[in-house]
Amino acid sequence: MADIISIAKSIFENQKAEMIIGYAKATKEGRTRPVVVRTLDEVKELVLNSFCLNNLSTYLTRKENKGKRVAIVAKGCDIKAIVQLIAENQIRRENVYVVGVKCSGVRRGFEGHDSTKIAEKCITCNVKTPHLFDELVEMKGEELPGTDEKAESIVKLEQMTANERFAYWEEQFERCIKCYACRQICPLCYCERCIADKSMPRWIETSPTKRGNFAWNIVRAFHLSGRCIGCNECERVCPAGIPLSLINRKMAKVAKSEFGYESGMDPNAPTLIGTYDVKDKEDFIR
Amino acid sequence: MEEYVISLEGIKGLLENLTREGFNIYAPSKNNDRFVKVKDIDEVALFPDRRPTDISAKECLFPKCEPVFYYKREKNNVEIVDIDPNGNKVLFGLKPCDAASFTIIHKVFNWDYKDKFYNKRFDNSLIIGLACTYLDDYCFCTSVGLSPVSTVGSDILLVRLSDVSFGVIVITDKGGQLVKRYPQLFEKGEPTKSKQVLDSIGGPARKFDHKKVKEWLDNNFETDFFNSIGDICVGCGQCTFVCPTCHCFDIVDEDYLYSEGRRMKNWDGCQFYLFTLHASGHNPRDTQYKRYRQRVNHKFKYYVDRFQEVLCTGCGRCSRGCPVSIDIGDIVSRISKLS
Repeated sequence: MADIISIAKSIFENQKAEMIIGYAKATKEGRTRPVVVRTLDEVKELVLNSFCLNNLSTYLTRKENKGKRVAIVAKGCDIKAIVQLIAENQIRRENVYVVGVKCSGVRRGFEGHDSTKIAEKCITCNVKTPHLFDELVEMKGEELPGTDEKAESIVKLEQMTANERFAYWEEQFERCIKCYACRQICPLCYCERCIADKSMPRWIETSPTKRGNFAWNIVRAFHLSGRCIGCNECERVCPAGIPLSLINRKMAKVAKSEFGYESGMDPNAPTLIGTYDVKDKEDFIR
Repeated sequence: MEEYVISLEGIKGLLENLTREGFNIYAPSKNNDRFVKVKDIDEVALFPDRRPTDISAKECLFPKCEPVFYYKREKNNVEIVDIDPNGNKVLFGLKPCDAASFTIIHKVFNWDYKDKFYNKRFDNSLIIGLACTYLDDYCFCTSVGLSPVSTVGSDILLVRLSDVSFGVIVITDKGGQLVKRYPQLFEKGEPTKSKQVLDSIGGPARKFDHKKVKEWLDNNFETDFFNSIGDICVGCGQCTFVCPTCHCFDIVDEDYLYSEGRRMKNWDGCQFYLFTLHASGHNPRDTQYKRYRQRVNHKFKYYVDRFQEVLCTGCGRCSRGCPVSIDIGDIVSRISKLS
């Protein structure tokens, strides 16, 4: 299997794309940063290792990248987002050249996270070998330790009464500073005008108060239900350390158990939220 | 500058006394994420070697959200209820890069308009700094005129001499009065001892000349330099929110009902598309590279032009937390080499 740099070279040489979104070394060891390369000279910047955490598909829906033929380095989890974007008619399959990464798992995060451990999403990953790609590249990784503590937390939350659960989230959302980093990093938060930014009428209070924070986080959870592909970027970037994966994973769990739907798997499957079916069962919210 | 020595027990005693005087104590939380109101003084610990809190201490004096006034409306009558930001605070254990931030933003909050909310909180606060022994690749305090032992912004600065003993450097009158109020807790110290400790604390490896940064920015507004940053910056604005010196805010009315409501002052940031969006639909900073250029210019040029002060303390929070690993220390040191 060719390495990332030779793959990138051949993409430009064979004019498969006009730009490549990939990973480069950051200024600090043990960290990478996204990079956009546009020329053969720049491809030497590209790297691929277990510190390649970012889900780069968030750049695909940028205004300036729309309609362009873009190559992207994507792990299985990131490809789920690409699949979902195709299914939701946000990008066209023929406009994106996917360099799929055969991945053995990435680390939990950069600063403030335990980077010696494997990311929780990798423990239950079902797309270590990508399910949609134009070309494959292998990430040479090492075995990383770590357990999926969030799975236990979800079970604990399920066992709580509604009031206890409310109190739990009240405490978590209290810390929210309304920077909207969760939205900005999210590949599926692609609305040109987010509901949180609308002021006439104002649906969501901009104040980071209890009420405004609840409104924002709950609305976002609903908007991602049946859509979130579990890349967990929102939780990684939250400067206030809110465990957003607990909500997103729970909603994905419900989508699976109640509708047999898993987002980001099949670009041709009808989306859960965007599909009307007279046979929809309605008793799930009872 | 006068110098004293205080024991760890003495520090706790001091905080207990200040609590009795009516001060609320704010210190880094257990998990080091932000400054929180201390409930149990026994839990206060001093970690000069801990990295800066995730969110800076600025929220103690300039909170993420505060009401400015409440209003009531009845027919043609409007009643405004003012808010008094009262309460005495002790900000405890601030690293010099946090303490200095207040000296810097004090200038903008006392410029064309005197912000009574910030000022009242500042006047009623006592800032106890702690000389810092933490250094990482993102720190650059010595490049913006500060240092791990800088006294700027602190009323008194503590210097760790051992696990149980701290040197006390008195900086302001407020700090001096504090020592006078509780003489039994402070021993007269030998100035050389803290100085030895201070001298042994080195500076961060990242070094650049901020004057050179300004020199280049003065002449290079239209530039390709920021393009590659614009490519990857997602505009999340965490850099502006965790920053100890970013001070932009937005004013919004929150209407509970037509007849009553409140006006709120909330943090805002230049990295957001909406920040400069005009009602006409025009946006002078319509792409991300322009917004990033603004942040660098505001910190290293505009603020220097107006207040002769760099709007940055080199704490490195913005770079540590950046989801796409944009490193401002690296960016400005590269700029400093361009001029």
